[in-house]
Amino acid sequence: MKKLFAIIKREYLQRVRTKFFVIMTVLGPLMLVVFTVVPGLLLGVKTSDTRIAVVDQTEGTKLSGPVRNSLLKRESDDENDNEPNLADAANSNTKGRMEKAGKSLNGSFKVEQVNPGQRSLEEIKHELNARIGRGDLDGYLVIPPDILSNSDSKTFYYGRNVGDVITRGQIEDRLNSAVRRERLIQQGVKDEEVDALSKPVDVATYPINEKGEEGAEDSGAGFAMVFIIAFLIYITVLLYGQVVLGAIVEEKETRIAEILFSSVRPFQIMFGKLIGVSLMALTQLLIWGAAFAAIALYVVPTMAARGFEDINLPHLPPFFFVYFFLFFALGYFIYATIYVLVGSMVTNTQEGGQMAMPVVFMLMAGLYMAFPVIRAPNSSFAFWVSLVPFFSPITMMVRIISQTPPFWQIATALVIGFVTVVLLLWLAARIYRIGMLMYGKRATIPEVVRWVKQS
Amino acid sequence: MNTRPTVSIDHISKTFGEFTAVSDLSLAVYPGRVFGLLGPNGAGKTTTIRMIVNITAPDSGRIEMFGQQITPELQDRIGYLPEERGLYKKMKVGDQLKFFAALKNVEAKVADKRVDSWLTRLKLSEWKSKKATELSKGMQQKVQFISAIIHEPELLILDEPFSGLDPVNVEVLKEIILELKADGKTIIFSTHQMEVAEKICDDICLIDRSRKVLEGSIREVKRAFSRNAVALRLVGGDSILEDRALVTKVLRHSDGVEVLLAENVSPQELLKELIAHGAMIERFEMIEPSLHDIFIEKVTENV
Repeated sequence: MKKLFAIIKREYLQRVRTKFFVIMTVLGPLMLVVFTVVPGLLLGVKTSDTRIAVVDQTEGTKLSGPVRNSLLKRESDDENDNEPNLADAANSNTKGRMEKAGKSLNGSFKVEQVNPGQRSLEEIKHELNARIGRGDLDGYLVIPPDILSNSDSKTFYYGRNVGDVITRGQIEDRLNSAVRRERLIQQGVKDEEVDALSKPVDVATYPINEKGEEGAEDSGAGFAMVFIIAFLIYITVLLYGQVVLGAIVEEKETRIAEILFSSVRPFQIMFGKLIGVSLMALTQLLIWGAAFAAIALYVVPTMAARGFEDINLPHLPPFFFVYFFLFFALGYFIYATIYVLVGSMVTNTQEGGQMAMPVVFMLMAGLYMAFPVIRAPNSSFAFWVSLVPFFSPITMMVRIISQTPPFWQIATALVIGFVTVVLLLWLAARIYRIGMLMYGKRATIPEVVRWVKQS
Repeated sequence: MNTRPTVSIDHISKTFGEFTAVSDLSLAVYPGRVFGLLGPNGAGKTTTIRMIVNITAPDSGRIEMFGQQITPELQDRIGYLPEERGLYKKMKVGDQLKFFAALKNVEAKVADKRVDSWLTRLKLSEWKSKKATELSKGMQQKVQFISAIIHEPELLILDEPFSGLDPVNVEVLKEIILELKADGKTIIFSTHQMEVAEKICDDICLIDRSRKVLEGSIREVKRAFSRNAVALRLVGGDSILEDRALVTKVLRHSDGVEVLLAENVSPQELLKELIAHGAMIERFEMIEPSLHDIFIEKVTENV
């Protein structure tokens, strides 16, 4: 036991002291921020207002006004546009700043009405095209004369930068609501009734459990949670699997295995290294977890202050966290022991990386299976897939969140997973014992099978 | 030698698939002696040693150490420097040695002191907090040597300990080995360099292609192989050397000749004949066979 402890201690301290560990620990949360927030920020950045001209060909140019108003409408009234909000939430922390941001978005369009007068469409287009070419204008809309009566009529948009899909989407949405509104008014709907009539239906969703009890309202965050968790398991395995592999091969690459084997039983070395690396991983995850919690404590209230009550974490019962911990640990150890197994067979880390490719594919398969499982958590497909040890950490977790299966199924998945870890460790130990002393070439599969049979 | 052997090996065999690494080997190693396990590459030396240190188990036969059947607990009383050896690249020299000591159940405080004294003795103290990669190959070898003796083992097994070392450091390590021997420790020394073995070993066992071909103390072995041979450096007397009644074989070196006398001819008779024929003799020496010659003879006669 003392020797096992010495091995765990060495492995842990050596890994935690490396520059790589320190850099990764600091960069990890930073990267998370960069990858989640920055794209939103960048999309939200609008350097200047979009100058847009509206050519209204309807009789009496009666759409010009509504279209203009609609385009100039306040951002926050828009139900379909969320991108800029995301960006603001990240970079503003006070209400005042947010309002300022809202105002700046309010002016994101500058609208000018073009009166066709006696000129032909060709002439107008010619002139506007020239202005866009000079850079005096960003784009213009051509509204056909029959837009209010013919639902198949087409509106045209001409612009310099048609690749800006966000602006295009906004224009389309706002044009739509203006036209819809005018069409309804034309059909005799009163102006003040239009808003009420075109309001979307609000569906509140409540889960029912197997006992027939109603749960709290589900905001859909559970669905997001499923993928966050599945992805977390996936990333963790990818990240630390390689470290486990490197640790196992280390004694072979440095030719220390034989010295160690003359002092300690091979299984203790292998197991000690696995535990040492796992503790390092746990340390890093805890640091990241703490950093994430700190960020969340800072971001969630600001989001809530902006009217994003929905951002609150979904109401998850406490048993969920127990399951999460169990399946997370299970997933980690199943794949970590596979990496141990691979490490015992190869002679260096590069070779190990190649050999580990199927492992990564298996992991990805588990991740993709989350999609059909969440759509039908009680199907026989979901049932079987959530019992297979290489997939169960992700798939069973998905089932637990979406529609908690009977306890015996969860327990069975856990037991199968645990037995798999033990079997893999046993197998790895048998290969490790001999593989560590073979220098030079990678073991062939028949060789490995022989090693396993050798007692 | 009435004392109990430190290691006694009784008819052990080991095969790997089709390949026989060790077959029916028996030997005994006694305390306070340096035992040379000699043989060409691939003879089965390393496999034998791995069985002694309990890394692998023999297919058949029995190994006893300190009078007991080998167990993992006995490993703490053995120091082993394998032929394939290395250090953790990114770990400090002092930390590595303490780690290896901990794996032999040496208390941390005791290990601290020993690490310092050995590093000083081998002139490595200023490298204590350097990483292994910063050390030269020779220095790494010395650190590895320390790791094998840090727990003051009763039995020390060294597999090609001097390969890659310069002559000065070879002398330093030799001195330490002889000190340990004087302390009553048992040393098993494996090599294919016969010149080294000849200087250090008390007893030898020569194995070739998995089998023992020769064993005994260096004295006994040499006596058994002594031949009627003389080393000469002389001017003239060529006709005598050509006389097949006196000399059966002449080997010419750059520094003289080596002759093998006919069975019933004594060296004195050769000397008399040479003087009678007016040869100028600069050197006349009866030669013992070197371990090298015995090795070559035994290994090639088996082919």
